[in-house]
Amino acid sequence: MSTETAVKAAPAAKPAASRGSGILLAVTGIITLAGIALWAYQLTRGLIVTDMRNLTSWGLYIGTFTFFVGLSAGGLIIASIPRVFGLAGFKSVSKIAVWSSICCTVLAVALVVVDLGHPERIWHLVAYSNFTSPLMWDIIVITVYLIVSVVYLRATMRAEKGEGSEKALKVLSVVALSCAILVHSVTAWIFGLQIGRAFWNTALMAPVFITSALVSGLALVLVITLVLQKTGYLKRDQDMVTRMAGMLGVFVIVELFLFFCELLTAGYPAAGMEFETVKAMLAGPLAPMFWTEIVSGVLAAALLIGKKTAAVPALAGAGAALALLGAFIQKYEMLVSGFQFPNLTYWSVPTGPAAWSAGALVYLPTATEAGIVLGIAALGVFILTLGLKKLALKPAE
Amino acid sequence: MANKRLGMVIDAKRCIGCHTCAMACKVENNLPDKNWWNRALTIGGEEMDTPEGVWPNTTIAHVTLACQHCENPACVKVCPVGATYKREEDGVVIQDYDKCIGCRYCMAACPYTGVRVFNWEKPKYQVEFPVGDSNVPAHQKHTVEKCTLCAHRLAQGLQPACVEVCPARARFFGDFNDPESEVSQLLLKRGHFQLLPEKETNPSVYFLS
Repeated sequence: MSTETAVKAAPAAKPAASRGSGILLAVTGIITLAGIALWAYQLTRGLIVTDMRNLTSWGLYIGTFTFFVGLSAGGLIIASIPRVFGLAGFKSVSKIAVWSSICCTVLAVALVVVDLGHPERIWHLVAYSNFTSPLMWDIIVITVYLIVSVVYLRATMRAEKGEGSEKALKVLSVVALSCAILVHSVTAWIFGLQIGRAFWNTALMAPVFITSALVSGLALVLVITLVLQKTGYLKRDQDMVTRMAGMLGVFVIVELFLFFCELLTAGYPAAGMEFETVKAMLAGPLAPMFWTEIVSGVLAAALLIGKKTAAVPALAGAGAALALLGAFIQKYEMLVSGFQFPNLTYWSVPTGPAAWSAGALVYLPTATEAGIVLGIAALGVFILTLGLKKLALKPAE
Repeated sequence: MANKRLGMVIDAKRCIGCHTCAMACKVENNLPDKNWWNRALTIGGEEMDTPEGVWPNTTIAHVTLACQHCENPACVKVCPVGATYKREEDGVVIQDYDKCIGCRYCMAACPYTGVRVFNWEKPKYQVEFPVGDSNVPAHQKHTVEKCTLCAHRLAQGLQPACVEVCPARARFFGDFNDPESEVSQLLLKRGHFQLLPEKETNPSVYFLS
């Protein structure tokens, strides 16, 4: 959702960059305020206005939260890996990548807050911390991660002005990279360590999350780069775009491969809840999501790896957008598939969606949920644009 | 003295699926509309209380389902603020409404379908006055709740309400750490099972088969 907004809204900045970005800020600002109003409505009426219920206790908010953590981690990994290993990186966009990471982390935190029943009790997390909870680990790691990202961005800016040592920056980039990998691993463990949901309980969860972070993070950076090259914020650098696109294409293929490993392992026994989930993905209630993910992944890989297609900004952009779409659906589908099949299916007084008997999807977000998520995405574009305008994110000449 | 491990034994052969335990729980704990802490599940046909098969070859059985007060609870580990915790002295898993931040991680973590309920809106009730025991903590909007093993009754030395009312006398309450207790003796004498044993949570609710 955020990516759509970014792709559609950003070209508005073309004619007169500053007036364009002004309009963009106004529009996204209004959408953000509308989102806040919807959140107030949700708090007043209760979470009953969502489609979440007792047997589908998480939905779009937590699904999108994992997506934004991925975007954030991916952006920072892309920015810091070249410095850590002394590779030729994407230097001209590395500050922008770190800034987009910071924005996405803020959005991830916002998504957890709107999901909470008692956001006013959020201080309980500090006062009554329970350190066996992966959610607690995540909160700690995200906080550290946010601080490290900001410090890293500042250090990069200082280094460009010739202040601070190159060595300190390198150490910092190692810390940042470790945090980025950890933050998404821990987010994966929120699900992967759970015995209660068959399709979540897999050791592959963290590697899958890291891969999809690389996919979505790099895709977002590529989209932003293409847009900024078009508006003249960045200089055209086709060589860098082609390298980014090729790398992204490979990540998409790795992502698809890991997904295939998971499905094969789950489906091969040909019985049990994991098998049922695979069936539901291939031809069942989860199929629309599943096939969109596969088709967008394959198309994205083809567009991005092909040298000729990657050379056309619109096609490279489309490939990146498809990769983002696939990564989003993957997270969302992972979440819903955990709830699609209850462990105890015997009939009783109604406790959950009647969808099981109908073989339909157990959860579909309401307009309120979609509106709140759209508001948060708009907030992301808002602070991203604000940063591009106010901070020294342009590459040094 | 060693800690207790309080729990229940439910005789699946005696259970007649009358839902009295579910109703007693609802009244005793003043449960809001749509909330059930204890339910009778039908092992049978396509609807509640319908048998499987074609007459005269039909079968039907019931298991009642509430919080299993697991010895190794999945919910306690994941709660970020310790709002759900296992009491050291008797193994009862409790939910602290005032601590709960409403993140619903425990609901995602618990393998036992539907034993944890969330108040998705301001609690609504069928009658205008509270029913049941006045020692039951007030229900709160946006918090998770579940069977407390009638902690308020245990504090008064009483048995859980569902055990008290069972017309078929299919429910037994006691301490599994005491080999002389009625529940321990029943497990010695009769074949029994727990729900979802493969999840390794070791529920403190056993069914006699």
